[in-house]
Amino acid sequence: MYSRVAGEEGKSSIMYDSSPNSYHGMAHLGTCCSGTGTIHLALHKPTDTMVVVKKFYIDDRTPEDYNLVEREIIVTRQLQHPNVLPYLATFVSGHSVCVVSPPMGFGSCQDLIEEHFPVGLPEVAVAFILKDVLQGLEYIHKRGFVHRAIKASHILISSMGQACLSGMRYACEIVKNGRWQKNIYCFPSSTANNLKWLSPELLLQDLHGYNEKSDIYSLGITICELANGVAPFTGVPATLMLTEKVRGRAPHIIDCKLPKHAEHENTNDGDAGSSNSTLAAIGESILEHFSSRKFSESFHSITVQCLHRDPSNRPSTSQLSSHPFFKQCRKSDETVVDIFKSVPKIGRRDVDSAGDYGVAMSAEQLANLDLQSCHWDF
Amino acid sequence: MPLFGKSQKSPAEVVKALKEAVNALERGDKKVEKAQEDVSKNLVHIKNMLYGTAESEPQADIVVAQLAQELYNSNLLLLLVQNLGRIDFEGKKDVAQVFNNILRRQIGTRSPTVEYICTKPEILFTLMSGYEHQDIALNCGTMLRECARYEALAKIMIYSDDFYNFFRYVEVSTFDIASDAFSTFKELLTRHKILSAEFLEVNYDKVFSHYQRLLNSENYVTRRQSLKLLGELLLDRHNFSVMTRYISNPDNLKLMMNMLKEKSRNIQFEAFHVFKVFVANPNKPKPILDILLRNQEKLIEFLTRFHTDRSEDEQFNDEKAYLIKQIKELKSVHEN
Repeated sequence: MYSRVAGEEGKSSIMYDSSPNSYHGMAHLGTCCSGTGTIHLALHKPTDTMVVVKKFYIDDRTPEDYNLVEREIIVTRQLQHPNVLPYLATFVSGHSVCVVSPPMGFGSCQDLIEEHFPVGLPEVAVAFILKDVLQGLEYIHKRGFVHRAIKASHILISSMGQACLSGMRYACEIVKNGRWQKNIYCFPSSTANNLKWLSPELLLQDLHGYNEKSDIYSLGITICELANGVAPFTGVPATLMLTEKVRGRAPHIIDCKLPKHAEHENTNDGDAGSSNSTLAAIGESILEHFSSRKFSESFHSITVQCLHRDPSNRPSTSQLSSHPFFKQCRKSDETVVDIFKSVPKIGRRDVDSAGDYGVAMSAEQLANLDLQSCHWDF
Repeated sequence: MPLFGKSQKSPAEVVKALKEAVNALERGDKKVEKAQEDVSKNLVHIKNMLYGTAESEPQADIVVAQLAQELYNSNLLLLLVQNLGRIDFEGKKDVAQVFNNILRRQIGTRSPTVEYICTKPEILFTLMSGYEHQDIALNCGTMLRECARYEALAKIMIYSDDFYNFFRYVEVSTFDIASDAFSTFKELLTRHKILSAEFLEVNYDKVFSHYQRLLNSENYVTRRQSLKLLGELLLDRHNFSVMTRYISNPDNLKLMMNMLKEKSRNIQFEAFHVFKVFVANPNKPKPILDILLRNQEKLIEFLTRFHTDRSEDEQFNDEKAYLIKQIKELKSVHEN
């Protein structure tokens, strides 16, 4: 079902309408966009199908925040690819803007890591996921956007095991004033949550600018995040992180080769604290697990290629798609669904109370009771 | 540019091929799939000639000039816009990109495509009616906003009867389409100050009776965006006479006073910025003055309690203090 809805035959999405009354809120799943939005599992009553409704409460938002929400929705609505999360319907309900998406059964890769894979996903799972992400990203680049926020939390996995990219909120258009820009200089308006993933050239904000290869760097960071279970530079101060990135000191996926890597880095560089940007956030027992596992050569090489300091030396999405790392997808007996079989999927059983909408409303009303009580004399 | 295997087509050839393909698509005969494919292929071809790609530079000016000339002579722009709904999803966006690039073309200070469209206003009307159709609304919006940058084209659009359809488009239930239509609507009313001031003055009654409906819309976003735009329009010095007329009507004042105490804080705040113009007016007509006087005490108390948490917004607090002072002083004027 997901591939049909999210896929190229997106015309079937017409069945989701823009009437708030067609959707019955079932369960609160979480928040998104730094707290601007809440995510709900909902029932689309006319078709009796489960959907996910993202709800942006916009009344207390600044015009800039509102514009971000509006832009993300308009941009996303003009994308149609099996590996890009679609917005099937959009509408206004009360003081909120709502968007409807197909439910992504396994949630985001960040959720998966946090709740079920604290030491990272198995290599073959990363391969499957990355393969899908590259398809989606290639499409996004072709359509003239730099995504600028590739990270585990923006990669969602459907219950069929298909990966979809979301997070177009931060995307930037490559085409400007009727030209395909070779370099972009515009800095994303909100970066605080994405700093760890952003490329050195984007963070530098200098005259060289950046281009879609910046996403490839973020992809490299995301590979480390998926493999290690924690994003590189976690717990590292922003300025130190920037220095590290600009110097070309790339994080890596950690396996039994780790001690060698770490030593190498320490001898190369005097500052003690800056050695391996990932290790600071990892406990002893996990380190032990890391030193007992071994990733393939091609896994190491694809990570290194993505994280090349010089953007022109990073491969493009289509070049990456033919990387030997993905050979294992063909050979593997397991699918993503097999690997995640122990993970509970989001579904009808998650249904709790539908009360959350009502509560939010009354709090909102209370706040303004004071002003509403006034009666004008006309 | 080895993108399509064989050697490159000339502008005349590619325009001819595209036109034939769109015609076939329009006829809807058996070979629709083939036509669809040809349309997509030739659109991408033209797009890459104009924009270049990550790997290739755009074509030389002379080639682009030939291409533009072929597009005008063949009437292809209109044909593409008329058949937009028949073109596939990605092709629709390519049409918009080709259109927008050709529109920006300049020879010295002249914009030949703008001149061309002035002679073919059907292009604009077809684009405007695109908001009626979900599947092409956003594509048409992209092209319309690009057109609205040119005064000559904006003029054709706002003075057409079709312009009033925007009051319907900005309120449709699909959020992205309504928002997009609102951006276009706003662009048309704010981009060319003198043009829109004249338009609003001449068509005051018709425009504002329509506008009233937006301010009373059941759709929160429509209400909020139209109120904000109203504030911007009234406070623009080009629209002085429109503003004077608006703030002389007691019904408008009543509406704003009611909006001041709406549930939505955002709407309260935007209403404040329109309400302040009524109070600051040094020559208040009697009906306006009467309403303010009748509610003098209440207004002072209300404004004192109004958005007290915006302590860091200096301009707002100054304006609020000024309004309270003005309203307090109304009394003495009355008594004397």
